[in-house]
Amino acid sequence: MAVVVILPKQGQSVESCIITEIKKKKGDTVKKGDILFSYETDKASFEEESPADGVVLECFYSDGDEVPVLLNMMVIGQPGEDYVALVGDAMPVTVEEAPAAPVAEVVAAPVAAAPVAPAAKGSASFVSPRAKNLAATEAIDAAQLAGSGPNGRVIEKDVQAALENRPKLTPLAKKMAAEQGVQPTSGSGLAGMAKSTDLQAPVNAVYGVDYEDKKLSNMRKLIAKAMHSSLQNSAQLTHHLGADARRMMELRKKIKAAMDAGTLTTNITLNDMVCFAVIKALKKFPNVNSHFLGESLRLFNKVHLGLAVDTDRGLMVPAVRNADDLSILGLANQLKEVAGACRKGAIAPELLSAEAATFTVSNLGAYGVEMFTPVINLPQSAILGVNTIVPRPKDLGDGVYAFVPYIGLSLTYDHRSLDGGEATRFLKQIAVEIETLELDIF
Amino acid sequence: MFDLLIIGGGPAGYVAAERAGHKGLNVVLFEKNKMGGVCLNEGCIPTKTLLYSAKTYENALHGDKYGVYGDNIRFDFSKIAARKDKVVRKLVAGVESKMKLHHVTVVKGEAMIQGRSPKGVEVTCNGETYLGANLLICTGSEAFVPPIPGIAEAGDIILTNREILALKEQPASMVIIGGGVIGMEFASFYNSLGTQVTVVEMLPEILGGLDFEISAMLRDIYTKKGITYHLNAKVVKVEGNKVIFEKDGASESVEGEKILVSVGRRAVTKGFGLENLSVELNRGGIKVDEKMRTNVPGVFAAGDVTGFSLLAHTASREGEVVVNNLTGRPDVMRYDAIPGVVYTNPEVAGVGLTEEAAKAKGIAFKVAKLPMAYAGRFVAENEGGSGLCKVLIGEKYGEVLGVHMLGNPCSEMIYGACMAIEQEMTLAEMQEVVFPHPTVSEIFKETIFAF
Repeated sequence: MAVVVILPKQGQSVESCIITEIKKKKGDTVKKGDILFSYETDKASFEEESPADGVVLECFYSDGDEVPVLLNMMVIGQPGEDYVALVGDAMPVTVEEAPAAPVAEVVAAPVAAAPVAPAAKGSASFVSPRAKNLAATEAIDAAQLAGSGPNGRVIEKDVQAALENRPKLTPLAKKMAAEQGVQPTSGSGLAGMAKSTDLQAPVNAVYGVDYEDKKLSNMRKLIAKAMHSSLQNSAQLTHHLGADARRMMELRKKIKAAMDAGTLTTNITLNDMVCFAVIKALKKFPNVNSHFLGESLRLFNKVHLGLAVDTDRGLMVPAVRNADDLSILGLANQLKEVAGACRKGAIAPELLSAEAATFTVSNLGAYGVEMFTPVINLPQSAILGVNTIVPRPKDLGDGVYAFVPYIGLSLTYDHRSLDGGEATRFLKQIAVEIETLELDIF
Repeated sequence: MFDLLIIGGGPAGYVAAERAGHKGLNVVLFEKNKMGGVCLNEGCIPTKTLLYSAKTYENALHGDKYGVYGDNIRFDFSKIAARKDKVVRKLVAGVESKMKLHHVTVVKGEAMIQGRSPKGVEVTCNGETYLGANLLICTGSEAFVPPIPGIAEAGDIILTNREILALKEQPASMVIIGGGVIGMEFASFYNSLGTQVTVVEMLPEILGGLDFEISAMLRDIYTKKGITYHLNAKVVKVEGNKVIFEKDGASESVEGEKILVSVGRRAVTKGFGLENLSVELNRGGIKVDEKMRTNVPGVFAAGDVTGFSLLAHTASREGEVVVNNLTGRPDVMRYDAIPGVVYTNPEVAGVGLTEEAAKAKGIAFKVAKLPMAYAGRFVAENEGGSGLCKVLIGEKYGEVLGVHMLGNPCSEMIYGACMAIEQEMTLAEMQEVVFPHPTVSEIFKETIFAF
């Protein structure tokens, strides 16, 4: 009996996922447990296994599609099985348009209604048949066009308009455009006609290709969108301040000694200590531990600390929930755990959403960065950039000056949430916490 | 202040001047010799005139194959040469009248670039100074005479394309160093008239760069007609009438009343003040981009002076690219559909990739070839003649990549293949094109259907 594979809902806030790769195509034979397709949420990626042995009878979406969760993705069953009743009529079942299928075998008994996913909403873009035909002959992706028909339906006129904005294609360019789903933006052929080479990176006859166009990964697109929108939609600015790091460095020595002695099993890093100090400061400045929601400021009782993590796939910001409840050991362990999960791609997606954290720490100190302006993870009100430790002259009193290690702190805050005075006082508080840090582990 | 100064009135310069004048630009063209350049005066046109006389003579000689007999068939070398001069004069006059028609100021004299200032490029000629917003350099190329020992001492035995066209008498024998297009056309002409011709070629095959199989077929045809070929032969010395060359490690020699040196051509980049502009060179030619721009803003180059694709039709198109971009029509130079023709008898014509080039570039292709005899008109008009049509298409999409032909009159029909390649037509489109029947051009259609 045929089985419908739906796109699972990974986390409460996830409404749609991007299909990264369809690994089994229509007609492929699959075994239970085979990977059918992979997909990405905002920041994590997943793979869906086949629930049964059989053949992929239908695959409703393709690579790169953004699919609302819980919609039908695939149908697995035996060849010739009638699964139309299974998937409901709202799905874009292509079999109806392909009467060449072996009709004789479809007489199998109608299958009882299996768990059927909710039907697609009417929001999917529709393309009129005439538009579809024209788009197919002219190698235009009609689904990408803004429809001017009723309910955003793409009509023939829209395809014609797209054609007018595109150079004439040579027959070869048309075939390649249709197959590869790319469109030329300019033409280097006869009278500006687009040639096959215009679909690729242009080649200078003399200098050759000096660059490569790399398609953005879905994650890169999401990061780009989030970062750009943060800078566009908030009033952010950064204050820089240094904290005497002697106390922290002394603690580091003790931690190392304790680890060597075997009395401590968790390595507590400078970053863990800074985060610990930040949490303490946040408890004293509730306005900073907040989300700016336009009409209101949401003040959190608990501190959910976001940590910027550099991974092979790009920047990820997992949250440690209720971080203010944690001891320094608990915090250190949790930070390591979420960072490790991100690097492995196994982080729970709900921990990655910007709403999951109330404040974020981004530490570039290990790379020797002396000052930077981190970008706020909206709707959070602020983010702390942690810099490297540099020696700075300090008045030790009685006319004694010495170089002492200072750790740089860069606080970017949203001026919509906070004013400069409060932000500065908060930043100073972090410095005080760092300079007077006490750890109850020795 | 002029819109465009052009140095050199060959196929790059005069065509650019004509197009620019037609579009209303204020153009000055400097030419130190006759209008038309090497092509019109010492290249394409005079050789084609000579070759037509030779072909007519040959047809008359062998009319018996078609049941037509002529007695006492002969030719007059001086009359052949005189007709060549008349044709050249007529066409040079034609170019000059075109310049007038399009209001191009033609300055006869040696132009000298003085430099470039914020106002534009300054060029002097005959004591006058001309200031142009743009400069197009079309100074062309000259025959390259390699420093072979004894070549300078041989004096007027040594000919290049220039001297050979000025010969007043037919030599009884001739050695041609370099079996490229120029060498083969003169070989063909003198062979038809009965001169004993020997071709010495350094490479394994004549007509380097053309389809290897077709070049070999042409060589066979001319071997039967009486030309002696020495391939893989490196000329090491010239002693008067004697050309000494090394082949397979052995030293051989061949004698000729005249020796034609046709091993290649070299861009002319000296003698007109190019150094005053700091223009960058590339392998001896002026370095240009796909819009024929040099590294100096407002300075362009077109034609042989760029050092590659040394063909009149390339030059003209390059000149047009410059003018198009200057007059607001974006245009780029494309070199993948430049036809090449050898006016031997039979003719060779080709465009696009050869099998050898496609393999070297790692391009996946399919090839089909048919004897010319598949075209009825060819059989009717070429008694005992043979020929070939070869078509290369892309393996995946079937786009026409190259078309190569041997057999008359392929020079006149190769442009069809140029259009197919320019437009990236694939088998599907080509199959729907109607060719006139009966024509030799149908061989292209037949070969398309051979895939």
